[in-house]
Amino acid sequence: MNASLHLNLLKDAERFSSSPIRPRVMIPLLAILSAAGLGVWWMLLTVRLGNAVHEKMVREASCAELKPALNQVLELRAREKEAYAALAQLGFYRASIIRFGDTLMRLPQHVPESIQFTELRVPPPPPMPPPDPTTKVQPLGPTNLVEAVTLRIAGRASSSTSSEAVRSLLDALRQPAYSNLIRKAEIPKGAFRQDSARGPGSRESILFEITCDCGERRFK
Amino acid sequence: MSDAPFALNKLAPPIRMALGITGAALLAGLAILVFGIWPARQKIKALIAEIAQLNDTRASMERDIAGTQKQQAVTEAAEADFQAFLDLGVLEPLLGSFSMRGKSLLDPLAKASGFTISSVKEERLIPLQVPAPPPQQLYARQLVEFTGHGAYTQIVAFVQAAEQTFPLAILSGLRIESQIQTPERHKATLTFEWPVKGEKRK
Repeated sequence: MNASLHLNLLKDAERFSSSPIRPRVMIPLLAILSAAGLGVWWMLLTVRLGNAVHEKMVREASCAELKPALNQVLELRAREKEAYAALAQLGFYRASIIRFGDTLMRLPQHVPESIQFTELRVPPPPPMPPPDPTTKVQPLGPTNLVEAVTLRIAGRASSSTSSEAVRSLLDALRQPAYSNLIRKAEIPKGAFRQDSARGPGSRESILFEITCDCGERRFK
Repeated sequence: MSDAPFALNKLAPPIRMALGITGAALLAGLAILVFGIWPARQKIKALIAEIAQLNDTRASMERDIAGTQKQQAVTEAAEADFQAFLDLGVLEPLLGSFSMRGKSLLDPLAKASGFTISSVKEERLIPLQVPAPPPQQLYARQLVEFTGHGAYTQIVAFVQAAEQTFPLAILSGLRIESQIQTPERHKATLTFEWPVKGEKRK
């Protein structure tokens, strides 16, 4: 019956811990300090943000200040680009130049006396093909880089040696004197025939035609 | 429902207060982190990138501006080359007419060579092949047809004179037809072409 009896009349809340650091105080305190620390960090970030915004504005203003001078350089570059592009396009034209004057001037020297030209013709450039409706983006200009040029000589030979006269003219057109303009000269099939329009008395009169392929006009 | 606040009611008021303060502080901290610090950091990051880009832009602008004089010289040289080409004989209309301009240019040569021009007609405008990059102002080939009469030598002398006087004039069509009534004088239709301003690119 010696058993001792401990009587605890304290409520839980009235009981104090023996530890000098009381969690009931320290945990809320740490939480508040953490929140305050985050608040301070936020404030510092806000200040930094303000500085960054200001710095950006300063840089923008400085770039805007340089804009007129830069526009001047860009305009100069655009003008240079335009001039060279136009020159390149006109260069295509220059590359396509073909000359007839000297060749035509030389021609009478090689025409036999018995031959008389009735027509001398260089057909004008062919018309542009119609735009391709299947193409979505129409090209700005023609896409062909070469253009064929022909010289057609039609005439009449009236002598007993008509065919020789025409042959000698054809040979003359194939000589180096004409090679700067004429690449190929030939009599097309059926283009060497008797001149029936002049009546049966002119049996020796022959109509002929010579087609010459001139150097192509190259637009490149 | 009497147990609604659950176990909190069973806790002592000081503990409840401690828990409440802790919870509120944690919530406030979380709110600051989510709605304050995180967006602010993102904005600063974006701003720093923008500032760096502005710095680069400015440096590049300064470099470009520093080359203004050199660019001016290059542009002027290019434009001088271009003008020299135009001066070679890019055709400009006379009173809105290329045929009038053509006539005014070739009439003196025709007179000198003895070729009689009876009519001048403005023919087709053929667009010129376009380089890459294309110019804003495109150029084209303007055909002008001259009809007249003359001896073969006169016609050819006229062609020669035109080709020599106007380096950009090209004889692109020719038809010399003999005339029964005038064996020494032929009818000639000559088509000359010149480069001209065409459409402006949109």
